[in-house]
Amino acid sequence: MSGANFPQRRTDPVLPRLTERFGDAIVGTHSQHGDETAVVARDSLHDVMAFLRDDPDLSFDMPTDVTVVDHLPRTPRFEVAYHLTSTRDLRRIRVKVQLDASDARVASVKDLWPGMDWHEREAYDMYGVTFDGHGDLRRILLYPEFQGHPLRKDYPKTRRQPRLGIEDPG
Amino acid sequence: MPGSVITVRRDQAETLLARIYLWEIVKGCVITARHFWRNLIGYMIGRRRTFVVNWPEEKVGYSPAFRGMPVLVQMENGAERCVACGLCEKACPTDCITIFPEEVGDGIQRRPKVFDIAIDRCMFCGLCEEACPEEAIVMSRRVEVASITKEGCLWHKEDLLTPASELPIRLGHIRNGYDRSPN
Amino acid sequence: MAEPATAPALDFLEVELPEGFNDPIGEEFEIRPMVLPMGPSHPAMHGTVRIVLKLEGETVVDADVQVGYLHRGFEKECESGTWEQAIPYTDRLNYNSAIICNLGYCLAVEKLLGIEVPPRAQALRVLASELSRMGDHFTCVGAGGLELGAMSAFLYAVEAREMLWDLVEDLCGARVTNNYVRIGGLSQDLREGFADRLKTTFAKVDELYSDVDKLLTANRIFVDRLKNTGLLSKDRAIAWGQTGPVLRATGVPYDIRKAFPYSGYERYDFDVPVGSVGDNYDRFLIRMEELRQSIRIIEQVLKDLPGGPVNVDDPKVRWPAKTRVFTRMEELIDQFMLVTGGIRVPAGEGYVAVEGANGELGFYVVSDGSGHPVKMRCRSPSFANTSALREMIIGSMIADIIPTFDLLNMIGGECDR
Ligand code: SF4
Ligand code: SF4
Repeated sequence: MSGANFPQRRTDPVLPRLTERFGDAIVGTHSQHGDETAVVARDSLHDVMAFLRDDPDLSFDMPTDVTVVDHLPRTPRFEVAYHLTSTRDLRRIRVKVQLDASDARVASVKDLWPGMDWHEREAYDMYGVTFDGHGDLRRILLYPEFQGHPLRKDYPKTRRQPRLGIEDPG
Repeated sequence: MPGSVITVRRDQAETLLARIYLWEIVKGCVITARHFWRNLIGYMIGRRRTFVVNWPEEKVGYSPAFRGMPVLVQMENGAERCVACGLCEKACPTDCITIFPEEVGDGIQRRPKVFDIAIDRCMFCGLCEEACPEEAIVMSRRVEVASITKEGCLWHKEDLLTPASELPIRLGHIRNGYDRSPN
Repeated sequence: MAEPATAPALDFLEVELPEGFNDPIGEEFEIRPMVLPMGPSHPAMHGTVRIVLKLEGETVVDADVQVGYLHRGFEKECESGTWEQAIPYTDRLNYNSAIICNLGYCLAVEKLLGIEVPPRAQALRVLASELSRMGDHFTCVGAGGLELGAMSAFLYAVEAREMLWDLVEDLCGARVTNNYVRIGGLSQDLREGFADRLKTTFAKVDELYSDVDKLLTANRIFVDRLKNTGLLSKDRAIAWGQTGPVLRATGVPYDIRKAFPYSGYERYDFDVPVGSVGDNYDRFLIRMEELRQSIRIIEQVLKDLPGGPVNVDDPKVRWPAKTRVFTRMEELIDQFMLVTGGIRVPAGEGYVAVEGANGELGFYVVSDGSGHPVKMRCRSPSFANTSALREMIIGSMIADIIPTFDLLNMIGGECDR
């Protein structure tokens, strides 16, 4: 009744390795409250993510979450936040990309982790951020006829959408 | 860190007895029959062991910590204890409380002229009770609040007023067990 | 504004009729894929999910899992209220284990505030989380039995769950919508005599547990439907972001309580069960074993429960004690400030995950220093786990969908938020 042991948690930071490898593509970093965060230039997002996954020293193999933060009056308005976890080293990293409202699109990382699929669809559904190369970017929680993206800060909470007509079967 | 990783045993269904399956049937029948007879006999001799009660003829007993719908506490002189400060209105996540204050006496005392709770939106969360500085709104043990009209779900001050003598359990609970930082 | 995406994934819905289909009895008859929508109102699709299946005979060739029927705008609601007001909404995520959701959210906000709750509150949070986890596992195991035809196992499991929920009611005032954990503490302390009531209940729960165990674990009809169905390999499970029993069934000992201990879990001695194959039977056994481990943790918590307050003594975070509000001016003012303004959370962002009954329940909160959250994101385990359902069922029979879906224990409220 006994098997493997728990993996050991590594405590050395991830960010230095990332900045060393990518240099200018890392726009900013911080480790507020112990969460290591890298803000990445939009065009190098896919490379950074592929590196985080494939580098044998980092090996962030589990996609944890994708979401968008809408800082409305501020520009750039949107911030796409990815959370990755390494099940081997028990470390987490947050990768963020900043997007302007006029051009809210970023490369999809669904090809790296299939688990990003639904999270990206949800981010598209709720915020209207397009993930290029996703291939199946449908609404997921809302229905296809829904107008607008409800988690944007300029979408009023009380706004109502017309009810869909129920088709009369006969 | 104590504790270890254990692998679950998949071979429990591989034993000979489990493979024959007859034994499993007998075991299942014994367990089910035990429950059945215990419940039936318990029912006949009046010591029910079943968990289900025949609502509404029977009611379940609630714990003293139980939160039902919020009601207003009425003092002995018939007036409400509420001073219409509006904190509960502010604290309520669903905005289901509506208060219009009025001044009484020579303008020192305040009380609610209108105090409505839209009980269909209330989620019995108890934040209003926690916010109230006067112990004027408390969670009662009343839960049967259904109505077939929208108006019936709007409880006015008169409906909500409950004499303090009917709420001893909750008031006791707020004062004793509900203290936030006993130190 | 992004243009709406087209939907290429559903193109299998337009199945072209083969030539001569009008004459199915004739010689031209050929098997063609059938499209079968399963759910949302299907007795086995509890949690309201719809699966559009493409079938060849009884084999699933392709599937499209559609969720969202229970979407209630959880994040929008939370972002429009104060930090405190979001707590009752987190109850509505996973109705089986609401306290774990409360806890995850409160820990995330406490991380931004940089506070740590007193030891007694930590211990009680562990106790309450484990009670909820047991309720969740009992529901999953029982409903799994029910859907595979074992009705009485369901009755006993749910009876055990109801008893546990009565304990939870004693703890916090409600059975399902608990609203127990607060930012900076707990809503109330233990009531007198809780340990005794817990002991009586656990005696009965133990008995019911062993009944369920005897009825299901070695029962061949049940086991044959679970073994080697819903298979997911280790690498795929990780790449799909699976957590909880689904991931542990593949042999990865990833449990947040051990990996990123929170609320003092590192103080308790418990084992993490893992599987070896990654099928439904492993998931079932893991849940049964975790029930036992939860009982172990609760006994340890009660054995040395620290004394002291259950709330931080900080009038900027936690509402002052009732008796003081009634009598002292200073506390009354604190109360007014806190209720009307809400907690001021320093600007910043934080991600905290707790081990929910179904996996990693994470909360990502962003604050700009005002009394309202800018962003309040719930990373729900059900959502991530359900996304891999397609891969688990492709190639299997229709009948295998039922145990697979059940042992994912997809909770609609948590998945759709
Ligand atoms: S119980 Fe909660 S929802 Fe109901 S009135 Fe009070 S604060 Fe509002
Ligand atoms: S908080 Fe209490 S005193 Fe103030 S208005 Fe509400 S019920 Fe009345």
